[in-house]
Amino acid sequence: MVSPFKVFPFLIYSFLVGNLITGCVSYRVIKAVEGRSVSNIFEEFRVGATTLKEALETLGAPDQVAELEGKDVLIYRRSLLSNSGLSFGIPLADIWGPSFDFSAYGELVRYDLVLLFFTPEGILSDIASEKGSRYPYLKTILSDKKGN
Amino acid sequence: MNRFREILFVLLLVFFLQSCAGWAKNKDYHPFDASGLDKLIPGKSTAAQVTEILGAPSEIVKLSNGNAYIYRRSLSKGTGLWLLIVSFGNYDVHYDQIVIFLDKKNIMTHHGVTLDAHKATYGLPF
Repeated sequence: MVSPFKVFPFLIYSFLVGNLITGCVSYRVIKAVEGRSVSNIFEEFRVGATTLKEALETLGAPDQVAELEGKDVLIYRRSLLSNSGLSFGIPLADIWGPSFDFSAYGELVRYDLVLLFFTPEGILSDIASEKGSRYPYLKTILSDKKGN
Repeated sequence: MNRFREILFVLLLVFFLQSCAGWAKNKDYHPFDASGLDKLIPGKSTAAQVTEILGAPSEIVKLSNGNAYIYRRSLSKGTGLWLLIVSFGNYDVHYDQIVIFLDKKNIMTHHGVTLDAHKATYGLPF
């Protein structure tokens, strides 16, 4: 009987190598974005002067509304999820039992936030903002700083 | 040289035969019509008129000087690509939102509108 390795050598070897690699190494990159980015409000908005009407006309509907100690808070939020994973393994479990396997995964969710505080009369009384997306993925996820 | 090309061709063939791609679309749907806002007048329209035109809100929030009716729907689009040993995924979510501010007498004072759901796109994560 003629060996299939002699008839279709490239196909057979490539198939075997392809399947072996598939089981050995994998890398994945996932990104999820929710919401929209908010423009730089510090140039347009002034505490004590900007009204609720102006804020709504400029930024549109907030993602969240809340009352906090007698003030109304408009929250604009955008989230950015980044996920990556790398794994190595030798798929010989059926032959040898447990075998070499290594994997590393990381997931980071960053937020761009703008909080606008309004008095009951509808005048801007405070602004708080954070642009989490400016932090680079790898540097942030590998950081060992407290609170990070 | 020909042998190298043959090997390369077969490897590429295997690479693409073992690849796949997928798309997904999700809607969190609420049938409000933003064009109805033209019929609502700040300082005059009541909460009853708001719900008559826009329907039941997705959420009601108590505020310092009244309430806010929030209307929200979302559109999400996901893309996945698997290439033998590398896989990519991307998920994009955008919202249509209307927030109606009502005073303690249930009169509409302000409103905010964002119609961004159509901006959700398919794509790769870079």
